Amino acid sequence: METCFEVKDLNLYYGEKQALKQLNLTIGKNRVTALIGPSGCGKSTFLRCLNRMNDLIENCRISGEIRLLGENIYDSKTNVVQLRTEVGMVFQKPNPFPMSIYDNIAYGPRCQGIRDKKVLDGVVEHSLKSAALWEEVKDRLHDSALALSGGQQQRLCIARAIAMEPEVILMDEPTSALDPIATAKIEELIEQLKTTYTIVIVTHSMQQASRVSDDTAFFLLGEIVEADTTRKLFSKPADQRTEDYITGRFG
Amino acid sequence: MKTNRMPRVISDRFLQLLTVLSAALAVVVLTSLFVYIFSHGLSLINADLLRSDYWSLSKIVALDETRNQPGSYPRPENLGAEVAWSEKWGVGFVDHLSHEKKQLVLIEAVAENSPLASAVDTSSGANQGKPVAMSAGLQVEKIDFTDASGTADFTGMLASARAAEVAETLDQSAAKLTSMFIKTPGGGIRGSLVSTAYLILVSLLIALPIGIASAVYLSEMAKKNKVNAAIRTGIETLTGVPSIVYGLMGVSVLFPITAAMGAKTTNILLGALTMAIILLPTIIRSTEEALRVVPQGLRDASLSLGASQTQTIFKITLPCAMPGILSGILLSIGRVVGESAALIYTMGTFINDQPGLLKQGTSLAVHIWSVMSGEQPNFELACAISIIILIFVLILNLTVKLLSRRLQKSFR
Repeated sequence: METCFEVKDLNLYYGEKQALKQLNLTIGKNRVTALIGPSGCGKSTFLRCLNRMNDLIENCRISGEIRLLGENIYDSKTNVVQLRTEVGMVFQKPNPFPMSIYDNIAYGPRCQGIRDKKVLDGVVEHSLKSAALWEEVKDRLHDSALALSGGQQQRLCIARAIAMEPEVILMDEPTSALDPIATAKIEELIEQLKTTYTIVIVTHSMQQASRVSDDTAFFLLGEIVEADTTRKLFSKPADQRTEDYITGRFG
Repeated sequence: MKTNRMPRVISDRFLQLLTVLSAALAVVVLTSLFVYIFSHGLSLINADLLRSDYWSLSKIVALDETRNQPGSYPRPENLGAEVAWSEKWGVGFVDHLSHEKKQLVLIEAVAENSPLASAVDTSSGANQGKPVAMSAGLQVEKIDFTDASGTADFTGMLASARAAEVAETLDQSAAKLTSMFIKTPGGGIRGSLVSTAYLILVSLLIALPIGIASAVYLSEMAKKNKVNAAIRTGIETLTGVPSIVYGLMGVSVLFPITAAMGAKTTNILLGALTMAIILLPTIIRSTEEALRVVPQGLRDASLSLGASQTQTIFKITLPCAMPGILSGILLSIGRVVGESAALIYTMGTFINDQPGLLKQGTSLAVHIWSVMSGEQPNFELACAISIIILIFVLILNLTVKLLSRRLQKSFR
């Protein structure tokens, strides 16, 4: 298994409060890694460390290192903007920009200075096809993205991330605002996307974790209790707390 | 538990009555204000008011000697019944009530070959000796004439004559018109409308870029520290400073700037600069407010796509905040239209029919002040201008409502 992310002794503080404690984790390339755990356990915070979105939060301090394909992303020389083109992100609530479908997808490439219409057309088509949205929207690319349904909007956000051709796509509870049918479509999509991208997904649903992920890490109170292949973690958890959580005794 | 419920019922009723009475009082006061303004000003509202100059020009004209004799000029057929036509001199007069409610006699039509068509300006000045077009709308103050026996006489408004009498006197007695005293119509607000437009345009042109850019810096880029908190408090305090203080500052601090550009007196540019400073805090605050409404999720999404912070601000945050910023702009326009104290200092109170950036002029509100501050306050004209301001502000506010509704809709 090739390594994508390697996390070493990661600590994160919000002011005086320590939110992540001494995390160590290896995330495999072209695999789906699920982060599970009760609310407030730090899994979303950890996810946002992977593309340095926590930099935006005031009083947030981080120690330790995260290596993406060998490079420490918390090195002072790292270009954060460049990093985020390699590590895309999909958020909990679908958040398309209030512009057309086409412009939403073309936003990232345009920010990198790509102006050529032909190139952009190609990127838009490829991204929408990869996100299984092309057939539904190809006739109305220039309509507002806000007119799409919730599930379509979320797939648009995935397509928007794909347009940057990242190494990794981070997903922060991408289906929590969606109905079961839209959820099923996104899960199917994740299955297809892992051949090209490394996916890290935060989820509240144990079923979803067991359905879509190859590896799972269980978070509790800012620590990683256990990380293993999904099959092993769900069938033979090594830690009692993991077993209690996945069998629904708390959380 | 047994309680005596009567006192509570009474006090409840009393408090209810108090609220109802207060509401009724407010409604009555506001309604009577509107009724007063509309009943006094509405009769003056017409296109002429908006089109014509405030000051009327007086002229004394004389006719060409060779043509100065009565002839026979049939009444044109398209004239209305209210026009009094002089057949011998080929001119028609009408009665007219001015903006100041003065009884006027106006020239309505002049026959093409009438002696009056040869009028020449005899009043001293640059136009002396030049022909004067005897067009419709000129006020006939006085017409001097001599009759067949050579006796001098006169008619016109100075002789308290109405249109019909003027025409009749001319037809019956006049053998030669020695001179005519005419006035161009006045009392209009065209100059002040133009000045107000200048004022709005220039002040927004200065205040908007600076205000929006500062708001972007303060709410999107600046770190939250004590210095910035102090700056923000300062800006909030500035919104509460009376505008007359800004006016003083405009005259003393900003006047040299306009003087360097060639202004000799207070001027519209000075007013606009002062207005821009008055507007700055308002624009900064409303823009900050609009930026705050933009969901954090959109900024996060933009950043996660590899956009820089500056790209995020200019491509996502500002466009999304546009409806809010626009309503701030509209409110600022309302503020400019309603301002008077600061402008009296900086723009002067001379109603200028030919306003320019470096000349004096009055905004509509100051125009009201000017017509009310003379020895004979002109309530009718003041009310008419008030109606125009009221309608303008009403339209602005409706637009703001519409925009804010659209803003709420676009973010669900």
